[in-house]
Amino acid sequence: MLSGSSVLRRRSTGGWILLVVVLVVFSAWTIFPVFWALVTSFKFTGDAYDPTFIPWVQFKPTLQGWRFVLITAGERTFRSLRNSIVIAFFSSAAVLMLGSMAGYALARFIFRKWKNNDIAVWILSNRMVPPVAILIPYFLIMRTLRLLDNPLSIIIAHTILNLPLGVWLMIDFFKDLPKDLDDAALIDGCSYLGAFFRIALPLVAPGLVAVFVLSFIFSWNEFIFVLVLGFNKAITIPITIAGALTTKGLEFWKVATMSLIGVIPVVVLATLISRFLIRGLTMGAIKE
Amino acid sequence: MIITPALRKKLTKWGFLLPCLLFMMLMAIFPLVWSLSLSFTKWLGTIMARPQWHGLKNFRDILFHDPRFWADFGFTIRFVAMAVILELSIGLALAHLLHEPFRGRGFFRVLFLIPMACPPIAVAFIWKMMVHPDVGVINSMITAVGLARVKWTTSTIVAPFTIVMVDVWEWTPFMFLALLAAYQALPEEIYQAAAVDGASKGQMFRRITLPLISPLILTISLIRIIDAFKLFELVFGITSAGPANSTEALSYYIYLTGIKWFDLGKGAAMSWIFLIILLSISLFLLSRFRRRE
Repeated sequence: MLSGSSVLRRRSTGGWILLVVVLVVFSAWTIFPVFWALVTSFKFTGDAYDPTFIPWVQFKPTLQGWRFVLITAGERTFRSLRNSIVIAFFSSAAVLMLGSMAGYALARFIFRKWKNNDIAVWILSNRMVPPVAILIPYFLIMRTLRLLDNPLSIIIAHTILNLPLGVWLMIDFFKDLPKDLDDAALIDGCSYLGAFFRIALPLVAPGLVAVFVLSFIFSWNEFIFVLVLGFNKAITIPITIAGALTTKGLEFWKVATMSLIGVIPVVVLATLISRFLIRGLTMGAIKE
Repeated sequence: MIITPALRKKLTKWGFLLPCLLFMMLMAIFPLVWSLSLSFTKWLGTIMARPQWHGLKNFRDILFHDPRFWADFGFTIRFVAMAVILELSIGLALAHLLHEPFRGRGFFRVLFLIPMACPPIAVAFIWKMMVHPDVGVINSMITAVGLARVKWTTSTIVAPFTIVMVDVWEWTPFMFLALLAAYQALPEEIYQAAAVDGASKGQMFRRITLPLISPLILTISLIRIIDAFKLFELVFGITSAGPANSTEALSYYIYLTGIKWFDLGKGAAMSWIFLIILLSISLFLLSRFRRRE
């Protein structure tokens, strides 16, 4: 910035130094746990308790942790990875389908008896319900349906958790489209369904990607429903992470490696949709 | 039956909305109603085949004869208050300092997204290792500079603060980035006019910036308050509610009662008390979302 005219942005040298120091300290604090997990995952058991950070210089790196998680305990790791991907994929697909249809209805049509906004706020209010409040009935429902330890029960639970967000964001995305576009399509003899699928949906494609990825991340991270609904066949990555410490005392390298397997995919996804993460977490209250 | 354009429109709009509404009725509202009906029963899942009518006794027992519930409630409230106040104040200070464009800002934005994108249970276990009182890296660093070990997870006084610290690590970047977006939307002209009129930096912050961003501060604080109340993974992972239940969050106690001990009636009643507390806060938040339109 060349402009000294910007009042908000004028800064002295001291101000710049303060800025850099604050930025460095806050970044270091933010990244340290992930960095430390990464370092620990390459350590031998004996080294894992030492405050050493530089491989080869301070400690001898090893692939023991990764080999254990991916090969020795590989069956369990890959089973939970596969479950995590399947559950996150199908629940996000369901959120996308139900959410984009409901979002389109609420953005494009007028509901008279119940106002559009009342319906939207009612849908959003479901986001406020603490997961633990529906845990017991979910357990009983899934037991009755014989769906315990079946990925389908977790897909349903995660769809319910993420659907309010999906609808709420899709309303926003459809409202941002000029209405003339679908009107023109309708006048040209397109059916409502045709206007939705051929005009509206392709135009909100970035929004669809954002909703899908956000919901994928939240499903990937969700812990408590899987803890209750899955025991063995339907476990996901968070459950496997939680199981890493219980077996034999303090095998830090194992916990660190397992945690990273949960962390790395979502960090990559979050980077891809970084513009939408804050928007999603604030239910669209902030548009970056 | 003749399908007129008006009818076709009506069918279409309900056709789009109904699948979502029906699914939510079935899988969100029905479980809540079932849970409410369970809360009036006694049902020890391990020994009783079906629930027995228990009236309001569950609610009476929880509200008047269960000190553990109130202790957990106290911990949860203190946790939410401390965590959200710290996250908001640090986030605001950082946004105020760092709101101007500088080189490499995109990189830092992505870096600050990491804590909130991570699975909370992975966050909990990574921190559990770091704050281990005997072999954790934080205590190793503290003793290396000659200070005394901190009983992060073994002292009933320190442990609640450890949970707060990890939550602050996880969610301060969220507050920071949300407020940063708000700072970016501030109109430059007002500040120029204020500068012409001789306003100081402090005056500008109090009289212009704060009033303009306060609606957003309220919204994101409410979102954080509601989500912080749901605290479960950090407690489960870092302290397992210990030592001596000093970090037992309400949701953890509900999980123990309903799922671990299989006291389904009492667990359901607790869930509803918890739900009512949260919904009263949420109603306030929702009224803000309603006004947005």
